[in-house]
Amino acid sequence: MIVVKDIHVTFGRGTPLEKHALRGIGLTIPEGQFVTVIGSNGAGKSTFLGALAGDVLAEQGRIAIDECDVTRWDTPKRAGLVARVFQDPLAGSCATLTIEENMALAAARGRRRGLALALASERRGGFRDRIAALGLGLENRLHDRMGLLSGGQRQAVSLLMATLAGSKILLLDEHTAALDPATADFVLDLTRRIVRENRLTTLMVTHSMRQALDYGDRTLMLHEGRVVLDVAGTTRAGLDVPHLLALFAKQRGGEEISDDSLLIG
Amino acid sequence: MSDIALFGAIEIGLVYALVAVGVFLSFRILDFPDLTVDGSFPLGAAVCAVLLISGVNPWLASLAAGLAGAAAGLVTALLNVRFKILHLLASILTMIALFSVNLRVMGRPNVALLMQDTVLTPFYGLGLPDHVVRPLVVLVIVGVVVLLLARFLSSEFGLAMRATGVNARMARAQGVNTDAHIYSGIALSNGLCGLAGALFAQTNGFADVTTGIGTIVVGLAAVIVGETVLPARALLLTLVGCVAGSILYRLAVQLALTADVIGLQASDLNLVTALLVAVALILPRLKGKSRSARAAR
Repeated sequence: MIVVKDIHVTFGRGTPLEKHALRGIGLTIPEGQFVTVIGSNGAGKSTFLGALAGDVLAEQGRIAIDECDVTRWDTPKRAGLVARVFQDPLAGSCATLTIEENMALAAARGRRRGLALALASERRGGFRDRIAALGLGLENRLHDRMGLLSGGQRQAVSLLMATLAGSKILLLDEHTAALDPATADFVLDLTRRIVRENRLTTLMVTHSMRQALDYGDRTLMLHEGRVVLDVAGTTRAGLDVPHLLALFAKQRGGEEISDDSLLIG
Repeated sequence: MSDIALFGAIEIGLVYALVAVGVFLSFRILDFPDLTVDGSFPLGAAVCAVLLISGVNPWLASLAAGLAGAAAGLVTALLNVRFKILHLLASILTMIALFSVNLRVMGRPNVALLMQDTVLTPFYGLGLPDHVVRPLVVLVIVGVVVLLLARFLSSEFGLAMRATGVNARMARAQGVNTDAHIYSGIALSNGLCGLAGALFAQTNGFADVTTGIGTIVVGLAAVIVGETVLPARALLLTLVGCVAGSILYRLAVQLALTADVIGLQASDLNLVTALLVAVALILPRLKGKSRSARAAR
């Protein structure tokens, strides 16, 4: 479960480029919920995910993950609770390390790393089984460098890596944006499967409104650092892309929307 | 080249193999260009020499030299990680400061070790000539260091250190405290250089404050030569490549200096080294260019 209370983030405070990226976001995400997040460029989507992951610390407000106040924790400390897949397939893994070395890195997430061999043989076997389940034939390429894989393969392995250490929260930052449509579909289906199998609480940032409505159980729209739309259940089921587009345009037109019910109706 | 010159080149190559392995750790594993070694190498020599003169056990003195080098590395890491000074500049600051520190440690620009026991003493007079004993002892020490280091880099901690150098953002997202790995990696790297300095002082019989000049280039040369002659991906082999590179480099230098036809003298060493490293850095690029040109055709 994630509880966010009124967080604010400002970049470049006191400079001409000062940007108030998050202006008081507050919400509760119950365990196991799959939330999709949309919004225009600069709306604060990535900053919001970064604030949950610890890349940026909120200057105001509180963040609690699984009843644990993590507001002041940095990224490595939160990594035991939070797994991530980045937009850039190159960003989420180490290109010059082998696939199994990348998996060993992820498997030790949130644990103390000691002097035991990172790739003990029994662990290797476990990795082979897990990666075989992806159905990409990568189980015979465990010694290959990660950099030899295609973008889609890397994102698939990154998703798998996110599940190796048993963290319950998954943050996906437009993780299919750099892929071709067919590969993106494959990775999205894999995402859905992995989220379901591991009962992960998930936030997925996406640029595609179609994806935002098709995947997950709840959709957030951010605009200028605030949540301007938060729908789930039957209201969400009744929404279609044109509705979202209309809302999107309305936001961009600069109209203030004070009541969420207006948006949904 | 005489026997003595040959074994001498191998010996000095093996001593600098520890520098090469240290430089490999900072430049290649951590992607942290660290020039501190120009100061930590003579620091190790100075600490070791001073301790030997005051009657400390040679193994303890060598260990202390390694620790002194590691401390120097920690200073560089601190300047970079904690105070956000660019890594190259941070290491130059430490290097410059160490010149004064080394003078303080020794109390004068150089210290001669004439009658002192060294780690080599017990092995003299076992039937082998001294100029063979020295490289053999150093070889055993280097071998142990290389094996330990390969094992260390294969551990969970070592793997996290490698990830820190390859992709720090990813490493942090996987719960790796990248700062801690920079501290320990740079300390380890300079600790090895301090140990190399201690071995240098003991095999050559002196410590001199100027021996550090160009250490980084020699170490880098060894790493690059090693990568060229032994382009391996397995960690242990890469480390062995650093050692081989260091020895080959010394042999090449020895050959260049002793071949009268070229007309080089000992004082040309730094120029030769710089040229060698420059060529080694340029060659792969040229090779890549001609290959892509051929592919384009």
